[in-house]
Amino acid sequence: MTSLKETYALRREKVLVPLAARIEDHLKNLFGSLARIDRISARAKSVDRFLGKAAKVEDGKPKYEDPLNQIQDQVGARIVTFYPSDVERVRLEIEKYFKYIESQRIVPESEKEFGYEGRHFILFVPEDLIDDTVNRDESVELFELQIKTLFQHAWSEAEHDLGYKPSVKLTSDQRRRLAFTAAQAWGADQIFDEMFHQMTQPSTR
Amino acid sequence: MGVFFMHTPFVDSAQKSYWAYAGVLPMPKRLQKQAAPATVVMEIDSIHSFLIRPGKGAESPDDINGATVARSGSLFEMLKPLFDGAERDCPHKIAFNSENGKQENICRDELIAYIKNRDIHHGREIAKRLQSVTTHRSGLGLLFLVAGEEDGETKIVVSRFPADSGVLAEEKGKGLTVEFLERIFMKNAKSYKAAVYAGKSFVNDFWRGQAADKQVNSGESVIADYWIREFLLSDFLTPGEAGTRRFAIAVRETMNRSTEPRVKQDIAAMHNFMVKMPAQTRLSAKGLLDRFQVPAETQEQIKERFPKAKSFDETFTFVPDEFTKFVNMRTIELDNGALLTAPTDRFDQVFAKEPVAGANNDVVRFSTEGSIIDQRFRKVKP
Repeated sequence: MTSLKETYALRREKVLVPLAARIEDHLKNLFGSLARIDRISARAKSVDRFLGKAAKVEDGKPKYEDPLNQIQDQVGARIVTFYPSDVERVRLEIEKYFKYIESQRIVPESEKEFGYEGRHFILFVPEDLIDDTVNRDESVELFELQIKTLFQHAWSEAEHDLGYKPSVKLTSDQRRRLAFTAAQAWGADQIFDEMFHQMTQPSTR
Repeated sequence: MGVFFMHTPFVDSAQKSYWAYAGVLPMPKRLQKQAAPATVVMEIDSIHSFLIRPGKGAESPDDINGATVARSGSLFEMLKPLFDGAERDCPHKIAFNSENGKQENICRDELIAYIKNRDIHHGREIAKRLQSVTTHRSGLGLLFLVAGEEDGETKIVVSRFPADSGVLAEEKGKGLTVEFLERIFMKNAKSYKAAVYAGKSFVNDFWRGQAADKQVNSGESVIADYWIREFLLSDFLTPGEAGTRRFAIAVRETMNRSTEPRVKQDIAAMHNFMVKMPAQTRLSAKGLLDRFQVPAETQEQIKERFPKAKSFDETFTFVPDEFTKFVNMRTIELDNGALLTAPTDRFDQVFAKEPVAGANNDVVRFSTEGSIIDQRFRKVKP
């Protein structure tokens, strides 16, 4: 019997990696010429990260009964913008060109907290990007798109690297330090956005 | 006993039952020419039917009566082809709309609840939704929910047939009685609405489906808001800007790469009408080109510029501003080296064109007036 690892690895190699490349190209064609976009990228989820997510437990039960059909970010794309107001501008463009089942602004639960921030979409893969030679059961219909500022992106990458080391559990002090860096990133975003608007729309100063 | 329909002079008088036979159209010839979409053939597990009266805006809508339809007999045999061929007969790709940005849609929730339970109670929730958006103009309808399951895959077809009226003629001995009937659902009805969904996961699947609306006047090209937006809380899978962009790029590429003057003339003529199309026009690329009577040869060249040929028939909402983005400047090149460029929608006003007397028909004179505000070099064509 083929294991989940083998099945996903095969799907990743045969279907998801080429699909991610097509999605990246498509996003660059659509939005590459927009102002203040730092980068546009797409990737197929690594086998390790997929298996890690598939093994997640919620309320004592596996979160995903059928990970291959339920995990929605097997292909993930990202658009990194300069400033927070650019995230909103790109969001409006995304909603014009893609049908979505989710469009959420992810922010910490409490105003007193600082942590991960970004705009997350779950989008349908456009029909033109689907390889019709692949059985639909072996592919995905949805992919995740994140829109983040440079600071949100930098923080989440470092936090993911530090916070998900399997052998190390963060101490309370370390978690507090991570929150502090998130607050710094949030503050930098606010100041840059403010300055950008002051300098491009001087009459509103 | 026979039934005489008001819209048709005669219907088979040998028909045994007069009350509730709705039917399926044969596959349209245009679709027969294409590769048939994948159909999911499986056994039907359950069929429920509900009589839907108009209830839009009603403070106390009528109760809805439902029935379980037996999985054998004439009605079952009539519904089976509808179920089996739904993917083929429903040409419009649709998807449920996200509510408040979340992975939620009340109509999808009701559909999934019905799939999980397959009973009248859960089917009635869907029927109530249909009733709540049904106007008196839409009239009385019969809703069928047909579901099946195989190898972990579930498929459901939702369809609505409008009521017709007719006259029942019944012979008794040497006598004849006639009676006017208002709730007739015709087996050979040429007007019905349907939607089909299939999938394995209640998380990722059952978001997208296919729909048909055989009641609209202009054939299969458009679909009523009543069916997909108000009842199914859905929209086309390809958003308007995306569909228009794909179409506009194909038109532009055909204009720029075709070597046939007639094709270029067709596209230039079509453009002037296209940019004046009202917003919210919902058609496929094929439907748009048909509307402007673009010749088949030109249509074929445009179709070849689509990423996938099947996208040519996919319905979307035409967005004039998006179309204009890709075809906003028109250039004519003359054999004397001249290049004339102007905004596409004003080209004929910017440049006056006249035939040159005494020359052959191909020779024309362009003239224009204006102040020079810029000039530039352009590299030679490769």
